Amino acid sequence: MKKIIIFLLLVLPFCAIVMAQDETTEPEAPVRDRPVRSPWESGYLIDNPTSLIPVKNTLEFVIQHKFGTIENGRSDLWGLYAAGSNIRLGLNYVLFKNFQVGWGITKKNMYNDFSARWTLLEQTRANRVPVSVTLYGVMAIDGRSQEYYDGMRYNHSSDPYHPLTTYSYRPGQRLSYFSQLLIGRKFSERLSLQAGASFTHYNLVARTGDHDKIGAHLGGRFKFSPQSSLIFNYDVPLKIKNISEQREWIAHPKENLALGLEVSTSTHAFQIYLGTADGIIPQDQMLFNQNDWKDKGLAVGFVITRLWNF
Amino acid sequence: MKGKNLWVLVALVFFGAAAMSFMVSQDQKKGAPWNIPAEYKSMKNPHAGKADLVPVGKMLWAKHCKSCHGNMGLGDGPKAASLKTHPGNFKDAAFQAQSDGVIYYQSFVGRDEMPNFEKKILEAEDRWAIVNFIRTMK
Repeated sequence: MKKIIIFLLLVLPFCAIVMAQDETTEPEAPVRDRPVRSPWESGYLIDNPTSLIPVKNTLEFVIQHKFGTIENGRSDLWGLYAAGSNIRLGLNYVLFKNFQVGWGITKKNMYNDFSARWTLLEQTRANRVPVSVTLYGVMAIDGRSQEYYDGMRYNHSSDPYHPLTTYSYRPGQRLSYFSQLLIGRKFSERLSLQAGASFTHYNLVARTGDHDKIGAHLGGRFKFSPQSSLIFNYDVPLKIKNISEQREWIAHPKENLALGLEVSTSTHAFQIYLGTADGIIPQDQMLFNQNDWKDKGLAVGFVITRLWNF
Repeated sequence: MKGKNLWVLVALVFFGAAAMSFMVSQDQKKGAPWNIPAEYKSMKNPHAGKADLVPVGKMLWAKHCKSCHGNMGLGDGPKAASLKTHPGNFKDAAFQAQSDGVIYYQSFVGRDEMPNFEKKILEAEDRWAIVNFIRTMK
């Protein structure tokens, strides 16, 4: 069933294009069907990317910050003064139309990440292309010192009480990957929604974890004034036995739910939200998030972007 | 006596702040006359009078223009006070007497503190939508 849904989501936009081409053979003058105006206000929707890529040669600076969780209440000002905060600074550049590359550095695990985002299809105003289709990929390098890796030892035996073996460090074990397909639609001037599927892979995980994880994503915005919107995203790491290395789900990552407010101007977008994941790069969220939004595992966070055109 | 001194202090701070706000305002110079290229002076607005573009123009105005020019084009947006040149009052008869092409040049090509918006507002239709919205400020 999932395969059929993914197939339909991928194929339907192309059918729309084929139909559009057939229509242009009629004698009436062809009408240029342009992409919809501002399907999103920014390339970020809290923890997910969107289909919106600025004009070619635009440089984007992004600050993403997550405070600690609200679980300690006013003792640490609902996480604002908590030690467990996380921050990412990133730069993105639009190399050519609808294709952006980026680099960022994150406090948690000292990740260095390199990303690429490509909006293959843009939704058009006359609905000839009813949805936008975006591909997103991130490769990250865990930048912690080698001492962290030297300290890791593994039990390679099936016997849980077997003495731990010595761990041999290889640089490739620092790498992790995230790839995502997003399909979005601007339903009206106020409402835009997007859904997606992702695949995450870590070269090195703990014994109780999985190297691979497939995720489902949902996000949206409701614009209530020309500059302000309510926004949300919901990312679910799926429990799929076929790709799991574990007999039972011991530390399966929790879903990431976030709800926030977005304010945008010509060159800035500001998003403030209450969300679950403590990680900022997507593969970390999909494989390691243990904060549970149903159990005070929510934290205040914000995203600020600034654009420069060249 | 102490209470009286307090009121004198409050009054001094209030009038001092008021005086300083006038100084900031007076420091802002009025924009020099624009040197508009002939092609823009004679440029026709292909979307003139299209009422359906006014909401689009209003939306784009809120995103790109309002922070300096204010809600209604009075030049009283939150960033206006930090500019060296006053952004102007678009309700002025002299401003509204300009042709659409001249307003287009001023709005999207720009000069000095008025930034160029050609790479931020890509489509000509969207730019004319803003011009149409500015026309509603009469």
